[in-house]
Amino acid sequence: MEFDFSPVVDSWRYLLDGVGISLMLSVWTMLGSLALGAAVGLGRVYGSAWLRVPLVFYIDTMRSIPVLVVLVWIYFAMPLLTGLNLSPFWSAAVALSLHIAAYVAEIIRAGIQSVREGQTRAGLALGMSTAQVVRVIVLPQALVRMLPAFGSIVSVTIKDTAIASVIAVPELLRRSETLAGQSFRPIEVFTAAMLIYFLLLVPATRLIDLLYRRVAHLGRS
Amino acid sequence: MTMIAPKESGSTPSPVLIYEKVRKLYGEFVALDEVSLRVDAGEVVCLIGPSGSGKSTLLRCTNALEPISGGTIYFDGRALPSVDRDIRKVRQRMGMVFQNFELFPHKSALDNVAIGPMTVLGMPKTQARERARALLAKVNLADKVDSFPSNLSGGQQQRVAIARALAMEPEVMLFDEPTSALDPETIGEVLNVMKALAEEGMTMIVVTHEMAFARRVADRVAVFEHGTILEHGSPEQIFENPETARTRDFLSHLGWDG
Ligand SMILES: Nc1ncnc2c1ncn2[C@@H]1O[C@H](COP(=O)(O)OP(=O)(O)OP(=O)(O)O)[C@@H](O)[C@H]1O
Ligand SMILES: [Mg+2]
Repeated sequence: MEFDFSPVVDSWRYLLDGVGISLMLSVWTMLGSLALGAAVGLGRVYGSAWLRVPLVFYIDTMRSIPVLVVLVWIYFAMPLLTGLNLSPFWSAAVALSLHIAAYVAEIIRAGIQSVREGQTRAGLALGMSTAQVVRVIVLPQALVRMLPAFGSIVSVTIKDTAIASVIAVPELLRRSETLAGQSFRPIEVFTAAMLIYFLLLVPATRLIDLLYRRVAHLGRS
Repeated sequence: MTMIAPKESGSTPSPVLIYEKVRKLYGEFVALDEVSLRVDAGEVVCLIGPSGSGKSTLLRCTNALEPISGGTIYFDGRALPSVDRDIRKVRQRMGMVFQNFELFPHKSALDNVAIGPMTVLGMPKTQARERARALLAKVNLADKVDSFPSNLSGGQQQRVAIARALAMEPEVMLFDEPTSALDPETIGEVLNVMKALAEEGMTMIVVTHEMAFARRVADRVAVFEHGTILEHGSPEQIFENPETARTRDFLSHLGWDG
């Protein structure tokens, strides 16, 4: 069997732009899921009982529906139901954010609850308000503890952007499919795509791991 | 506005804390059963007694970390408030030291001590750190200001914790078994700091199993059992001449042979 990587080499610009779109989608998804996940996670820990019910329902829902289903629902069904039309890119960003925010919320909740009660007591004993204890003592420690889990969220987010290809967002996988079809070189093109994802993600996860090892002691009470 | 009469100096001791028939229930369980006790300014009161007898509970009720179920605790002549804002004001005037230190792991020793004045009193950082530096020197940790808790021994951590409590310039210090989690060789350095504090005239309530410390430093010792004070009196009285057989049992159990 002969390999010919020239389609990849000739269209590197086309693929690189696809990588750019994958990363843009990742960034928006991370921003969206962090904001939403933080709100949901904090609401679950510190909110009133009646607030917790819908939040838990949201988390359970998002964890039990495949993200691909959420995506096609938002892109194909939502416009028919609500008249609200989102571009493929923003449909993907919203679907991924909704999905990943549920996991972010759980990470935040677990992180906060893992800081032991005595830390709160120590803050209160100094005369701090509950809000000050949360802001100055609990959250900083919880954030350190959450770091490895956030590392996984970053890589899951980047990987999951590939599903946006089903609604024709011109990201890396979609462009690889197009290129593979045109050049009749699926092996070479998809191998290249695989390699690109790998090269994007390995340094990102290593970096977070390294950072965590340097700061882990700051979260150990 | 309530006027507070100036405290008399000398002759009559002024009470800092008065416990009047204090009860604390956890569900059905009676953790404190009509405990009455008085702590005067400058006094060191040691609480001893078996595990589960309610000593920690009494300390936590003292600074309202736990609400009491009955009776009254008077601090500086006033019943403990129930409004959150006022409770915080009271807590600022009491320092608390925990068995497990509970230092903040994400802050240096210096900032552990400075964080109270900064957060609670709104003191500027440089000023708070200055105060913290002086207090760390006082507990013999001048060379550890930049260390993080994870790099300190248990005895060092507990001394930072004492400095942290002192940074709020409290009128009374509450110690809950401050040396129970320590290696034997570092217990002494913590007890020495506490002894020095007592000699400066700090009002202190100390839950402890260190009978030698109680014997030497305490003005009064109260023996707890099942949420009540079995007996209390001077250290001589309690250690040489305990009134109840239960106290004798407890002391001999700890290897104290009078
Ligand atoms: N939050 C709580 N909920 C239910 N029961 C509690 C709670 N805190 C304490 N208790 C119970 O109250 C009793 C007194 O506890 P406390 O911690 O005051 O004892 P202690 O005298 O400090 O003992 P130790 O020497 O073991 O620290 C114990 O039986 C304990 O199980
Ligand atoms: Mg205790």
